[in-house]
Amino acid sequence: MKEQKNPASTIRLLRQIAFVSILFAAILCILILVNWFQLQRADPLNTPVLKTTIERLSNNPDDQQLRDQLRTLDLLARKAYFTSQWQICTGGYLLLISILVVVICLKTIDFIQKKIPDLPGAKTDTFWIDRKINRKWVAFTGIGIVLISLVLAFFTHDELGKMLGEENSRQTDTITDQGLTKNGPSSRQNNVSRNSDLLTPVTTGDTNTKPGLQALNDFPTWAEIIENYPSFRGPGGNGVVYQKNIPTNWDGKTGKNIKWKTTVPLPGYNSPVVWNDRVFLSGANETKREVYSFDASTGKILWAARVDKIPGSPEKAPAVNKETGQAAPTLTTDGRRVYAIFANGDLVAFDFDGKLIWARNLGLPANHYGYSSSLMMYRDLLIVQYDQRGSAFVVGLSGKTGETVWKTSRNVKVSWASPVVIHTGKRTELLLAAEPFVAAYNPANGKEFWKLDCISGEVGPSVAYADGIVFSVNDYSKLAAVQIGETPKLLWENSDYLSDVPSPVASDKYVFLLTSYGTAVCYDAKTGAKYWEHDFENTTYASPVLADGKIYAMDKQGIMHIFKADKEFSLVSEPKLGEGSVCTPAMVNGKIFIRGDKNLYCVGK
Amino acid sequence: MSKQKLVIILLLLLTVQATSVFAVQRFPKPEFETGYIQPETQVPSPRTEILAVMDVVVLLLSLSVISWIVLKKRSRNGVFLMSVFSLIYFGFYREGCICAIGSIQNITLALFDYNYILPLTVIAFFIIPLVFTLFFGRTFCAGVCPFGAMQDMVAFRPQKLGSRLNAILGMVPYIYLGLAVLYAATGTDFIICRYDPFVGIFRFNASFSMFVFAGILLLSGIFIARPYCRFLCPYGVLLNWVSRFSRRHITITPAECIQCRLCEDSCPYDAIDFPVTSRNPESRQVMVRKLMLICTLIPFLIVAGGWTGIRLHETLAGVNGKVKLARQLLDPATLRIQSEPFEITAYKSSGKSQMQVNEEASVMLKRFYTGGWILGGFIGLMFGVVIAGRMLNIWRTDYVPNKGTCLSCTRCVDYCPVKSDLSKVNT
Repeated sequence: MKEQKNPASTIRLLRQIAFVSILFAAILCILILVNWFQLQRADPLNTPVLKTTIERLSNNPDDQQLRDQLRTLDLLARKAYFTSQWQICTGGYLLLISILVVVICLKTIDFIQKKIPDLPGAKTDTFWIDRKINRKWVAFTGIGIVLISLVLAFFTHDELGKMLGEENSRQTDTITDQGLTKNGPSSRQNNVSRNSDLLTPVTTGDTNTKPGLQALNDFPTWAEIIENYPSFRGPGGNGVVYQKNIPTNWDGKTGKNIKWKTTVPLPGYNSPVVWNDRVFLSGANETKREVYSFDASTGKILWAARVDKIPGSPEKAPAVNKETGQAAPTLTTDGRRVYAIFANGDLVAFDFDGKLIWARNLGLPANHYGYSSSLMMYRDLLIVQYDQRGSAFVVGLSGKTGETVWKTSRNVKVSWASPVVIHTGKRTELLLAAEPFVAAYNPANGKEFWKLDCISGEVGPSVAYADGIVFSVNDYSKLAAVQIGETPKLLWENSDYLSDVPSPVASDKYVFLLTSYGTAVCYDAKTGAKYWEHDFENTTYASPVLADGKIYAMDKQGIMHIFKADKEFSLVSEPKLGEGSVCTPAMVNGKIFIRGDKNLYCVGK
Repeated sequence: MSKQKLVIILLLLLTVQATSVFAVQRFPKPEFETGYIQPETQVPSPRTEILAVMDVVVLLLSLSVISWIVLKKRSRNGVFLMSVFSLIYFGFYREGCICAIGSIQNITLALFDYNYILPLTVIAFFIIPLVFTLFFGRTFCAGVCPFGAMQDMVAFRPQKLGSRLNAILGMVPYIYLGLAVLYAATGTDFIICRYDPFVGIFRFNASFSMFVFAGILLLSGIFIARPYCRFLCPYGVLLNWVSRFSRRHITITPAECIQCRLCEDSCPYDAIDFPVTSRNPESRQVMVRKLMLICTLIPFLIVAGGWTGIRLHETLAGVNGKVKLARQLLDPATLRIQSEPFEITAYKSSGKSQMQVNEEASVMLKRFYTGGWILGGFIGLMFGVVIAGRMLNIWRTDYVPNKGTCLSCTRCVDYCPVKSDLSKVNT
């Protein structure tokens, strides 16, 4: 007689199998997780051993034994990594199988334990009430979706379509204008600046434009910009360099890590700008103004271009403070042309071969110390901050032709600060500082976005920007943190340490200020709480630059104070140039270009 | 250990599978200095024609078998076994692709982009389940869809969600469908595939977020049966519409309903319509007036939805590659990005001018403007129709499956004591 199976014992058996399977799965999970965390943390190609071996090999490139050792290490690292990967994958399969076993067991238990359903209890008939309420809920859901969509649209809509349209029509207009320039004045120029003959450019050379769409793209992308150092205080003029492996040790006297040193023919306090293999500077005295192009590899002066006979240029150089000089503004470049401006208002554009593309004079700046605002590029527009007494303005000129694309009057006092172009995440803003306000403009058309009265005096430092906050400072005024937006807000202010020449620099968390008397201070960017101060004891005119997590601050004695951009002061090094410097260094491709009082230096390993 | 606890632990463990997704290759290629030429990346060749045909044949056979099981055999065990087969074949063997759900996007793209070649297999996977549904109800969902099968297996403790929550969540698939069609029509993305929660499990490789999503769905699926099918699946919207007109749909009882009420709580998907024999407390006149009002309001809802869609069109377009590139190029500061984004590198090597990029983005924005209007209008229409549908007078004497939402899983059949012959009522 066939023995009847006991369902209870079968169920118990199935439960035990399920339990064991779950236990197995749990162990697998732990193993997979541990393996995964190891994999996540592992950076096998950047182990100290591998790095040291690579470094040793770079010092001894012919060492075959070292080369073989490196290959073995590399292979081992890869093997270890891929074995872990295989383990995780196999573990995943085993996990799936064990889970399937659990499912099968539980389903079988369900099947064995199938019960006849109980008769449900009496229910109140709420069908019609439910339907009525459901209608309301669906309607409310619909309204909710509309509201959420509108809120989302409000916060994310950035008029992109309009911006693209404007951008394309602006570019199309530029081409049209270029076509008209050869035959007569541009219609746009007539519309925008018909009141100022001074703003009419003289096109002297080939504008280097090609017909058609290629010409429209004649400006660098942001990626190209950050690979170079195209303006005062780096890309956008914000004092932040997006490059790594910047040298921290050199000695100008012994020549340690000095790749070359070239005497600059004429004096000037402008800082170097770099594009690929070219370094540009300008120099001037009362009688001569020149633009220089250096070979970034050798320091050889490739060309020196005289700037004279510019229509509208004053006969005599203006009287300037000796600490400003005739060539204080730093040049700018878009990789196609290099642009320079001098204390007498002469503005020029040269191509990379030293050929004059266009030149014009913006009018003798009414500036009692001497004009010093550096130039800035925004796409194919050259932006000039002309904060002079009486009729201050900011102007956007076509980089190709020098024609005025837009011009905006500014009701400010004289300033010596330079423009900064930043991107807020939603739009690009051109930031300018001069008594009485910090203002933001649309760099494409010069329209004012916002302004806030927060600065006074003879403003020398430019602003710094990070994470939605603009930092402005001036001596006898205050350090102000302004949260930007349509209605800017003063987040915090502090008057303990102020600067009248060096500009501040900011990271997302901190703002660093260097006073002219050589004290460095670090504040919390959001709250203004002071983290530390450190006195370097030397007068400083150059602006600090944030690069690779470190601040590079050059003092007037030529000592570069390099410290970590952190809330605790940590000095990295203090290399000496061997001669004084008031210029902000330029950092590109693992090299630093420093203009000393007389020489231009290239520092690099 | 109670069964419930076992199940929860099991699914928690299942999510750990997510770790295997990190087994992606994040190693740089070795740097050789000896003239070694890196081999070109091999692209897997497409599935051979014969195998593609086999997929269609398997689909046809599976649908035939499941329809027979559901309608003729009325066997829950049969449906379960069929689900297991589908999970293995369409899920783990075919790795969830091609699937009927994703085919919506291929069909849409083919309608809007004449350059897109639509494989016949895709058409078959899109149409065949719909045709079967038109005749036999949603038997595809019952035992052929691997996504449904996977969720069905973990529905151990399904709870009633209540009619309100069902009504609200039931609107989500319309939105998802609308978005999927919009993004496919504009050639932006196949979002159904991109956010497919289960393909990662089938393939043992997916993004972490994908696996987390799958884990959440499966865990919640213990208590809320088939959450993806009911509250997300865009293909389910089409099946729901078609199934309403199905010629032969599963019935709870094979003969006359004896009003025993045993099936009342049997459906884990809340897809059984109860008898409605009471009169609507609101007068017929009031209801007619309300119905006319909502019908009049539907055009307004379409316009309101369309208007909202227009407001949102730039946001919706933000994920489009062309728009994204134009936006990046407009930012002189793709600030804080220390290395060049891939899009910019690709753009540089394309030889395109920025104006071309801008123009392409503008065209795309216009398409999204129109698409946003249609999407919003469609969602507005659906809300209107759903609200209007809940105003109709109903008179029902028996327990019947809701033809639109019933997934033909046959669970209710097991609860029905009536067999084909009334004399054989199980007691």
